[in-house]
Amino acid sequence: MDLIPQLQRAILAQFLPPPSQTFLTTLTTARSPPPPIPSLLATAKARLLASDLTNTSSAIIDPSAPVFPANIDAATVKETNLAQNTHVQVIDIENLSLSRWEQVEELEAIERGERTRGRQVIRVVAPEDGDNEADASSTAQQTQASRPAAAAITTGGANAVHRLVLQDRQGKRVFAVELRRINGIGIGKTHIGEKILLKAGAVVARGTVLLTPETCTLLGGKIDAWHETWMEGRLARLKESVGADRPR
Amino acid sequence: MRVLCVAEKPSISKAVAGHLSGGSFATHNTRNKYIKNYSFDFDFGQQWGSSSVTMTCVTGHLTNVEFTNEYKNWSHPPPESLFTAPIVKNDKKDIAKNIADQAKYARLLVIWTDCDREGEHIGQEIVDAAKVGNAAIQVKRARFSNVERAHVLTAARRLIELDEKQVNAVSARIELDLRIGYAFTRFITNNLKHLGGPLAELVLSYGSCQFPTLGFVVDRYFRVKNFVPEPFWGISLTHNKDGKQVRFSWARNRLFDRMTAVLLYERCLDAKKAKVTKVQEKPTRKFKPLPLTTVELQKAATRLLRMSGQQAMTIAEGLYNKGFISYPRTETDRFDKGMNLRALVQKQTTDQRWGPFAQGLVNGGFQQPREGRHDDKAHPPIHPIAHVAPSVLSHDEGRLYEYVTRRFLACCSEDAKGMATDIELQLGDEYFSTRGVIVLERNYLDVYVYENWNNSTELPKFTVGEQFEPTEAMMTEGKTSPPNYLTEADLIALMDANGIGTDATMAEHIQKIQDREYVATITRGNDTAGGAGGGDDEEEANGAPAARGGGRGRGRGGRGRGGGASARGGRASGLKVFVPTQLGVALILGFDRMSFEMSLGKPFLRKEMELQMKAICEGSTTRRAVLEQSIAQYKQVFLQSQEQVGVLKQACREFVFGQRPGA
Repeated sequence: MDLIPQLQRAILAQFLPPPSQTFLTTLTTARSPPPPIPSLLATAKARLLASDLTNTSSAIIDPSAPVFPANIDAATVKETNLAQNTHVQVIDIENLSLSRWEQVEELEAIERGERTRGRQVIRVVAPEDGDNEADASSTAQQTQASRPAAAAITTGGANAVHRLVLQDRQGKRVFAVELRRINGIGIGKTHIGEKILLKAGAVVARGTVLLTPETCTLLGGKIDAWHETWMEGRLARLKESVGADRPR
Repeated sequence: MRVLCVAEKPSISKAVAGHLSGGSFATHNTRNKYIKNYSFDFDFGQQWGSSSVTMTCVTGHLTNVEFTNEYKNWSHPPPESLFTAPIVKNDKKDIAKNIADQAKYARLLVIWTDCDREGEHIGQEIVDAAKVGNAAIQVKRARFSNVERAHVLTAARRLIELDEKQVNAVSARIELDLRIGYAFTRFITNNLKHLGGPLAELVLSYGSCQFPTLGFVVDRYFRVKNFVPEPFWGISLTHNKDGKQVRFSWARNRLFDRMTAVLLYERCLDAKKAKVTKVQEKPTRKFKPLPLTTVELQKAATRLLRMSGQQAMTIAEGLYNKGFISYPRTETDRFDKGMNLRALVQKQTTDQRWGPFAQGLVNGGFQQPREGRHDDKAHPPIHPIAHVAPSVLSHDEGRLYEYVTRRFLACCSEDAKGMATDIELQLGDEYFSTRGVIVLERNYLDVYVYENWNNSTELPKFTVGEQFEPTEAMMTEGKTSPPNYLTEADLIALMDANGIGTDATMAEHIQKIQDREYVATITRGNDTAGGAGGGDDEEEANGAPAARGGGRGRGRGGRGRGGGASARGGRASGLKVFVPTQLGVALILGFDRMSFEMSLGKPFLRKEMELQMKAICEGSTTRRAVLEQSIAQYKQVFLQSQEQVGVLKQACREFVFGQRPGA
């Protein structure tokens, strides 16, 4: 049966996290006769990108896949390079170019159902209200473009600098900073649980991975539960980090 | 044949009579001491020909609407009945009678009210009054935007029709303002009166523009008060070359994380040599201003001339009535191609101050003004009509006239031109850049003294690929500072962007919320206050609402002093800013916290109404439909407010009486 190596090659060709043999076997034997390679690949991809890399019980990820070196987060090491291609998942993301308070104000405005465009205050209508009201026509057009969830996306601008917290298969967490702007990275754009391939040679300085488009491939994906919790807690975390949660 | 002409106000009536008659007219008194009837002969051309004319006027709106006597009591019938209560119209009897009497003998009525929505409505009021005296009278309207002689004569010979749609829009607005204003004012006053203290005797007025305007002030107040300063870090590079020092700024500008900044800084230091990646020299320009609109005039007057928006409008109207400037209520920021702007420039060549500049334009420097995107199709941008010597104007009139004229000449001049040099360099992985500007031609800046453009420090020569070790690479540290309280110019800009009020009424709403003691003005201190940190903010924040009586007093005093010293000395400091009073905060938060769809403190409801008015003017909806919809909408809000009136009371207890929630 050469279906397994064939599928494995297809998965690796897409730079996806390396699958375990168990996972490949389960996939290829779940149905008989097995579905064609493209649909197997699609299933595998969806599962891999939605999985938690650190979850050993589900055994989706190849247990021999490369992980971070033990001292990767050592601030004493001025500069080192990753020796191997390493798959990681996003645990947190921050925009370091915006003050936290600025982000707090924006999130609070969105909570109130407002959004500002220049000096203009725009009312953001929740989609379900907008549809069944006859007189909502003037605001309905804006509904599509700026419903609260979408409104939380800040593309970040050409010079924005984001810092991510990345986690490897063994649960090791490390900071990563955009040394060069990577367009796929942004608050609301980058999902929690998204998978990233850090290529061999990527620079790690003072315990922080320096991201550039050449050394960092965004694979997509998301762990729904994590992402939701992260979104819900974002305002509180921002407030906490500026000390605005404490009474002054 | 006899013709009756009616203007919106006495000054226009007199000016138009003067022009049409060629200066010789007979003056008759009327029962109203401000209103004269002028009689003379004039040839209207077209089918009218030579006519015997009586020119008179009204004093703004001729009628006002009110509720019938059964609704005079504030609590019975209950305020919500005002949404549907019958409305009666009253007119200014003596003026209306004068028009009716004069109409008896006339075959044609010519309306000379200002060409805007309100003017159109006043025109209809005049028509109604005239038809009392002569039901068969024919009606025409003169379209004019200034009272310069040739313009007035042209308008008189090209009469048009009254625009019924605009009349309907205004009458819808008047009815809505009456119903909504009265209902909510009574509701708020009745309910809060019981809390006693300072609220026992106050009329707490509500206006659909006032409240959103107050909302902006309250919103900014809390943004300042709640602000949390945060540290940030950056990298600054300086290099000395050819005896010149250049400072390069970091492409990342600043980072709100020290660790990351240090990390990147260390890598810069390690890289040692910077490499020049780009040297670009290209022409640059500073754009001349756009033609002047009402909103821009008010912003400039508050910012540059230290007048209030309302003062500026009153002065501008005076200048218009005297024929010195064009109609000051306009949204248009583009001049019609057909207008003879050179002739207007020519008139300014005799001035002591800008005459030579105007002469330069006449001699070939003239350039067509830039075109903005707004056109109200009624009035051109504000511009000077005639040259006036400063001696015949009051101090403030003179300053406003000067602004309008300098702005106009600037529009007809050329952009300022310069040469910009952009230099970019790379140090390790980090990018830095600097820009040098040399001003080559000042052009419009020579007359437009309100703006400036200076050479930057001169840059040494760099070439692409050049490598050097920077003299200094420094890590910098800073702290974010809170936004400023709103200036009047800020507030006007916010109202404009959010459709609160028309350009002509914004200043009145701003005055209104001060008169009602919902907001007070304080004088913004020196710039040092901004950097002083949390302690200072706290103090100001607590001080403002407490100083309700005092704050206002200070504001007034400040204005008086500013006038005396003609505001020349303290241009940088002493800017008036708005802060809400405790009462203002309580009203806005009271409604905000009621948590229904659209708070009265937000601009959304009013904006919708303003859009509906426009729609009536464009013919896409009708007065009746708008009235039904808006009344239903506000009534809904009213009923919800009634249900949750406890929230409003609680906000007052908290902010006006200083009781903690739950106490």
